[in-house]
Amino acid sequence: MGSDELDEFNIIVAGVGGQGILFTSRVITAAALEAGMRFVQSEVHGLAQRYGSIHTEIRLGRDVRSPLIMPGTLDLLIALEPIEGARFAGYMSGKTSAIVNTYMIPPISAFVEGRKIPELEEILEAIRSAGPGRLVPIPATELAAEAGDPVTTNVVVLGAAAAMGALPFDEGDVRAALGRVTPERYLEVNLRAFDLGRDFVLKGAGR
Amino acid sequence: MGLLSEPGKLEVLLGNEAIARGAIEAGLDVAAAYPGTPSTEIGEALSAAAREVGFHFEWAANEKVATEVAAAAAWSGLRSMAFMKHVGVNVAADAVFTLAYAGVVGGMVFVSADDPHAHSSQNEQDNRLLLRAINLPTVEPADPQEAKDFTRSAFDLSEEYGLPFALRTTTRVSHVRAPVVLGPIRERRGKGRFSPDPPRRYVQVGRLARAHHRELLEKLSRIREEVAEGGEFLRVEGQPGAELGIMTSGVSYNYVWEAVRRLGVEAQIMKLGMTNPLPEGRISDFLREVDTLLVVEELEPVLEADAARLAKEANPDLRIVGKFSGHLPRVGELDPVSVTAAVAEAAGVEFSPPSRGTGAGIDLPPRPPVMCPACPHRATGFALKRVAGRAAFMNDIGCYALLFQKPFELADVTHAMGSSVGFANGLSVATDRQVVALIGDSTFFHAGIPALINAIHHGRKFLLVVMDNRTTAMTGHQPHPGTDLDALGREAFPLDIERVVRGLGVENVWVVDPYDFEETQKAIKEAMGRDGVSVIISRRECALLTVGRLRREGKKIVPYRVDPDRCTHCLVCVKTYACPAFVDTGEKVRIDPAVCFGCGSCVDVCPFQAIVPQEGSLDWRRDGYGV
Ligand SMILES: Cc1ncc(C[n+]2csc(CCOP(=O)(O)OP(=O)(O)O)c2C)c(N)n1
Repeated sequence: MGSDELDEFNIIVAGVGGQGILFTSRVITAAALEAGMRFVQSEVHGLAQRYGSIHTEIRLGRDVRSPLIMPGTLDLLIALEPIEGARFAGYMSGKTSAIVNTYMIPPISAFVEGRKIPELEEILEAIRSAGPGRLVPIPATELAAEAGDPVTTNVVVLGAAAAMGALPFDEGDVRAALGRVTPERYLEVNLRAFDLGRDFVLKGAGR
Repeated sequence: MGLLSEPGKLEVLLGNEAIARGAIEAGLDVAAAYPGTPSTEIGEALSAAAREVGFHFEWAANEKVATEVAAAAAWSGLRSMAFMKHVGVNVAADAVFTLAYAGVVGGMVFVSADDPHAHSSQNEQDNRLLLRAINLPTVEPADPQEAKDFTRSAFDLSEEYGLPFALRTTTRVSHVRAPVVLGPIRERRGKGRFSPDPPRRYVQVGRLARAHHRELLEKLSRIREEVAEGGEFLRVEGQPGAELGIMTSGVSYNYVWEAVRRLGVEAQIMKLGMTNPLPEGRISDFLREVDTLLVVEELEPVLEADAARLAKEANPDLRIVGKFSGHLPRVGELDPVSVTAAVAEAAGVEFSPPSRGTGAGIDLPPRPPVMCPACPHRATGFALKRVAGRAAFMNDIGCYALLFQKPFELADVTHAMGSSVGFANGLSVATDRQVVALIGDSTFFHAGIPALINAIHHGRKFLLVVMDNRTTAMTGHQPHPGTDLDALGREAFPLDIERVVRGLGVENVWVVDPYDFEETQKAIKEAMGRDGVSVIISRRECALLTVGRLRREGKKIVPYRVDPDRCTHCLVCVKTYACPAFVDTGEKVRIDPAVCFGCGSCVDVCPFQAIVPQEGSLDWRRDGYGV
């Protein structure tokens, strides 16, 4: 078994409901559409959006039909929150690139039930030990604040992923796709956030 | 959204949006629905397009009414659609069973969006069985492109055979996004004409019902011959002559397609797009060609039972792999791992499923959905827990069902829409326990009223709390009979719940703002002491609506903060109010400014007055926001 037999590129975007996971996914599929690529994306609607764990699965390539990813065949993990990223450790292999926002959002239910919340370092270590080829932790929420709005955390991470070459598109194509799907009044702040994420990687902070 | 783009264009559509487009291409005149995951986005797409295209769309009071609206339109020669989540079909069933006898004039499509895995549902019922019992011809798309194409074809066929067609999806068809090639949009008919022909066509009693039943079965057998066997919805692909046959439909087909390639096995695949009536002749031919048959379908072994029945004649030695043999689960949805493992088993090849283990060895805290910051249901729950915590709580279906969680635990029962009030009737007969029923405004209108009438009539004693947040929040803020706008944003008459319950004869009625803890607790205490049915309407709009309005008005959302000098880390806020903005640092509590909506409702929760506004913070109750 091995995904190299299939032409597929598998992405998971994970985070907490409200972090812009669907938007991030839309930018990626907009780039795919422009590139004339086949793709399927499965997403979550309904109750799960209320501050719960959310993720989308995006599959690009000639041989994709299934809307769900086979564990072990993940190419890119975009984690907007570290705990949510770590849930997908079982999907990774040596060919996986993982980009993980380091800003933790501990679930309120853990405090209510008095559950222990792991430290950021433990979480990153758990992801690292799942053996991704590359792991880039990024202080995306801080960079987003710098860009002008913490809501742009997702766009910072996307800019970093694009600059890592972790997406099957050129960085410029991803940036152009971001421009197409962003409503006019958020365009400036979104592009600024994207560039801050890109620069973070290009400056080598992400190595 | 490119829902109305011109024919030939490639647009990225959600499965549900593709169904809406398919209906529009078919010349949709009238659509009606009640929201429910995973069907809701069909309605969101239709709401957005209705004015421009000119068809009628409404969010009806419940699924049965929606079906009747659509049926009457189809009887008048128009093209119509009703859609709902799987459990919605239970509500509509009384109308649909007999509608199959009545038939239609204009094409009508009835959409059942099933939810294997119960991602957002109270059960995972398989409506293929229900649709068969109703005798509706049923098509099942596998992806957004088919969702659009099948919807359009179903309209044409429905009209040709004078029978509503069902389109059945599952979550991974409804909520999958992919590029879809658009087709031409047919002209609408506008107004219809109702003139039953023959005049008793729609009268179903005894002899007439039997005659119509017979006609229905004749229509189905013609559809079997002409449509199902004809192959419009049928595809056989793969390796001709292979000894392994795989029969599948819907999203399961996609898992099969990849599993066969990933494993490199030879197989013939029969993909059924129409699952009622079945192309039994074509299936029998298929069964004769193979030695082993794997049936891949979600939930119940429906196709598998048919295959076993047909194999008795066609190929008695056939080995059948599927649910009866224990190789595929009846619980939960299928996925690449379970299907690849089943294909490997049937083909006799090795497959070691990759571990699905999460978080390599560390204990990750789960993150279930919770009530939003500023949610009025939290405030109502806080008051109920304080003064009525020992009662039996009949909860219902809506965001307030989340009050089952700690620290509130205000749900001994959550079941089906409206059931809170029905169960409260029964418990007040069967026990002497104090009973509190909780119901949302949308659910009250949908199915709560008949049970309330029953309680009043029989003199039952319990407290009904209507959690009136002015919207259908859980499914994404659709209007309901209590709101002043309809699905298209036009003015509508808002029914007043207080007047409704008073009109029904309830005398003990309180209307409270749940942010006013004192007033709310006082009302609960009083109500619990009264005889008969008492009703508290806990009214405050959904916090997401309030925040949206504040943003549109250009008001800044300024979070509250915890004054660390006053915070004693007693955790009363976390352990009794549990707003997701609270963060326990281990020494103090902090309010996460990225999560807090700045409502101010938690201020009175803190025994040490440590929760304080910041420069520019609003106080929603004092300033009159959300009521
Ligand atoms: C028969 C049926 N139809 C639809 C649904 C989907 N659904 C779940 S809760 C809900 C509405 C909740 O609205 P409301 O009672 O006002 O509570 P809110 O979520 O606004 O708090 C709907 C439509 C369902 N579960 N069952």
